[in-house]
Amino acid sequence: MSSLDRFYRGLINGCGVISAVLIGVVAVLVTLDVVMRNVGLSNLPWIVEISEYSLPVATFLSAPWLLHSNQHVRVEILVSALPHQVARRLDQLADLIGLAGSLALVWYGIRIIVDSRAIGSLIIKTLVFPEWWLFVPLPAGAALLVIEFVRRMLNRSLGAAS
Amino acid sequence: MSWQLALLLLFGMLSTLMAIGVPVAFAFVAVNMVGAVVFLGGDAGLMQLARNAVASITNFSLTPIPFFVLMGEVLFHTGVAMKAIEAIELLIRRVPGRLAVVAVVAGTVFSAISGSTIATTALLGSLLLPEMLRRGYEPKLAMGPIMAIGGVDMLIPPSALTVLLGSLAGISISQLLIAGILPGLLLSIAFVGYIIISAMLVPGLAPRDDEFKRVSGWARWRPLIVYVLPLFVIFGVVIGAMVAGWATPTEAAALGAVATVVVAAAYRALTWRGLMQALMGTAAISGTILFIIVGATTFAQILSFSGGANGLVSLVAGQGLSPMMVVAGMMAVLIMLGCFVDQVSMMLITLPFFMPLVQVLGIDPLWFGVLFLICMQLGLLTPPFGLLLFTLKGVAPPHITMAQVFRAVMPYVLFSAGMLLLIMLIPPIATWLPRMMFK
Repeated sequence: MSSLDRFYRGLINGCGVISAVLIGVVAVLVTLDVVMRNVGLSNLPWIVEISEYSLPVATFLSAPWLLHSNQHVRVEILVSALPHQVARRLDQLADLIGLAGSLALVWYGIRIIVDSRAIGSLIIKTLVFPEWWLFVPLPAGAALLVIEFVRRMLNRSLGAAS
Repeated sequence: MSWQLALLLLFGMLSTLMAIGVPVAFAFVAVNMVGAVVFLGGDAGLMQLARNAVASITNFSLTPIPFFVLMGEVLFHTGVAMKAIEAIELLIRRVPGRLAVVAVVAGTVFSAISGSTIATTALLGSLLLPEMLRRGYEPKLAMGPIMAIGGVDMLIPPSALTVLLGSLAGISISQLLIAGILPGLLLSIAFVGYIIISAMLVPGLAPRDDEFKRVSGWARWRPLIVYVLPLFVIFGVVIGAMVAGWATPTEAAALGAVATVVVAAAYRALTWRGLMQALMGTAAISGTILFIIVGATTFAQILSFSGGANGLVSLVAGQGLSPMMVVAGMMAVLIMLGCFVDQVSMMLITLPFFMPLVQVLGIDPLWFGVLFLICMQLGLLTPPFGLLLFTLKGVAPPHITMAQVFRAVMPYVLFSAGMLLLIMLIPPIATWLPRMMFK
């Protein structure tokens, strides 16, 4: 395994680990908030917001990891009934469509960041910060999806050649 | 473009992409891109699509999902669930089809603490199925109850899919969670009755099972108090906190997740490895659910912009059909869909049509929500795309064929269909408990 391979695998698995840990940390934070509030100690309204913002981060980071480990939900009934050759063609087509969608998400993800920065939109709740921060996980996760789709397609065509 | 053509275009593309094996989240993304160009004005529409993708999951009403999943995963990966099952096994004796009954009872207990149908099915399947087959249970009787009770897990709170339905359909999440309890319990009871009766009538189905551990007195009841009671306490805390208004569903779910970790630690069952496995499992299950929402969220918007949703809704509403007939029609659509697509897609595809109809016809949304849940539960169990069938096949011994799995689940599918019919005719089965608790 080349060092590039190792790095890539580490990166993808790292995404999964970060999502997992994030969920755990937020669960603990929310619990703290409930307990503190009900004992009358203090109110930590920013925790609600953090838990809300953690969902997109966890989702977009876990998406490439789930693709890498083939865990995204798909309907396999037709493909599995077809002859091997045809099924492989369809898999290639499916990867191509996934690639196109991910590319669009990267491109328009970046566009909304640029847009939002230009207007200077702010999120003003308990926490105040520029709106574009919220958008960063989208193109970041989608970029990894692009890489993963390309890798799958290369692997498939290399597999066919050998 | 006429609304009929718009619908044909959108759904034609979606089903084609899903059928050729594009992961459903990406199938939605691709259809939305085309839809955004055609109906939402090209570039501006695509920008909106990207904004929606983020906004759809930046939503406090969805945060219970990972926490509910985490509860089940922690119990599964730390082995606490296994102890609970053993405790229940000690109590059930001299019943025809004993281990199958144990599976249903343990599954019911476990579903009161697990928000993941897959975790429940995988747990019971890997634990009880090999044991039942070894003792000479007919595969049909050994597998059916495990899948069936996994489906019931979806009805009994906590349940990740119930949260999602409430959030997407605008039905009170707390009330919907409570509304699933009674139908879920009734189904469990019906399963137990069916198992006992069929084991008595058809002697070859189950062995005369005298192999239970002969313990009595305190030794028999102690495991129940030590390993099962705390689980019920957690269930009580989660549901109680919601009903009493101390905590939002998200907060109750987080409390429950932390409480399961604490309980596991109290049993000295908590390891870093187990905790990490549970968290990774949670990230995987919630990630797949939420990423479909990312992909599908603009779909509903495009449906309404294209005039497709409105056109179909007014066509149906204008037929002068009784609300009951419309509900029956919607259930039929859901059951058909459930055979082919996953639960999250089912909701995202149909809710843009169904909820306006529910409103126009003055149908009780809570009642409708429970019917919807049962249809999704049926979808988990019906071939060819029943998720739990594949979950069980995944943990079953290699000699079990998919056809055997299909046959095993059939009687229980009929029970669930019967429950659907019963609740259609007698709505209080679903609505009485939440209405009473949230008065």
